Amino acid sequence: MDKNQDTSGQRKLKCSDENKCFELLESILDGEGEADTKEVLDEKLAKCQPCFEHYHLEKVIKEILQNKCTKHMLPSELAETIRQKIQEIK
Amino acid sequence: MSEVQRKKYSDKEKNNIFDHEFMPHIDSMYNFAYRLTFDEDDAKDLVQDTYLKAYRFINSFEKGTNAKAWLFRILKNSFINEYRKKSKQPSKVDYQEVETYYNSDNVDYSMTSDLRVDAVKDMLGDEISNALNSLAVDFRTVIILCDLEGFTYEEMAKILDIPIGTVRSRLHRARNLLKDKLRSYAENMGYDTDE
Repeated sequence: MDKNQDTSGQRKLKCSDENKCFELLESILDGEGEADTKEVLDEKLAKCQPCFEHYHLEKVIKEILQNKCTKHMLPSELAETIRQKIQEIK
Repeated sequence: MSEVQRKKYSDKEKNNIFDHEFMPHIDSMYNFAYRLTFDEDDAKDLVQDTYLKAYRFINSFEKGTNAKAWLFRILKNSFINEYRKKSKQPSKVDYQEVETYYNSDNVDYSMTSDLRVDAVKDMLGDEISNALNSLAVDFRTVIILCDLEGFTYEEMAKILDIPIGTVRSRLHRARNLLKDKLRSYAENMGYDTDE
């Protein structure tokens, strides 16, 4: 259980700028945050319920995209075909 | 790249770069191509064309730099220039239209906010893949590059020829659209999406 869960009663229920905040939270999830990322994130998650929910939902969606998306098997002959074609154009 | 005066690679160097820097990415390239075209033959052609182009223009690749991003950029351009026109996939919602709509500052988050973490966690790979595949190609592409292939925003900006700010906002819009899709899946599965 997330430790932030316990403090949900103290979070504001409306986010004043969802578009901006959610974009920022997503860039933090993507590893694109600035130097003070940790502080910004902690503060938003502790104080804003929509930000808290958005962050955790996006986090789990990112994880299932990474882990569950159908992977397509590389056709076995493709690499060899490419090598042959390269030989032809040399 | 063209401004940089670089000495041409010898045949041995070319083969070395091709084998050790280009070919290791063929799996990712094929998956990217498949997710763009939804067709095995088109995906194979697209990957093959990309590798042939990569070999032909190998002198403009600087050894030891980001080969994966370089190859993805060629593949994306080939797709736009050649495959998109003849794609067997019927054209999706016009991207410009969608982007304009989602560009408005007041996105209605109430539609997606009731999608629950538990419902998403229980989804199957096919459901996730179908939701992703149903997005218009430009939205699908940013999610593939970021979440599936792990490119940074800077790399994505280069691959897609768009500013980093556009990468960030397009990703955000793509994720909102994806959540709409996931929400309908959750409803169809019988999850109670209301709090």
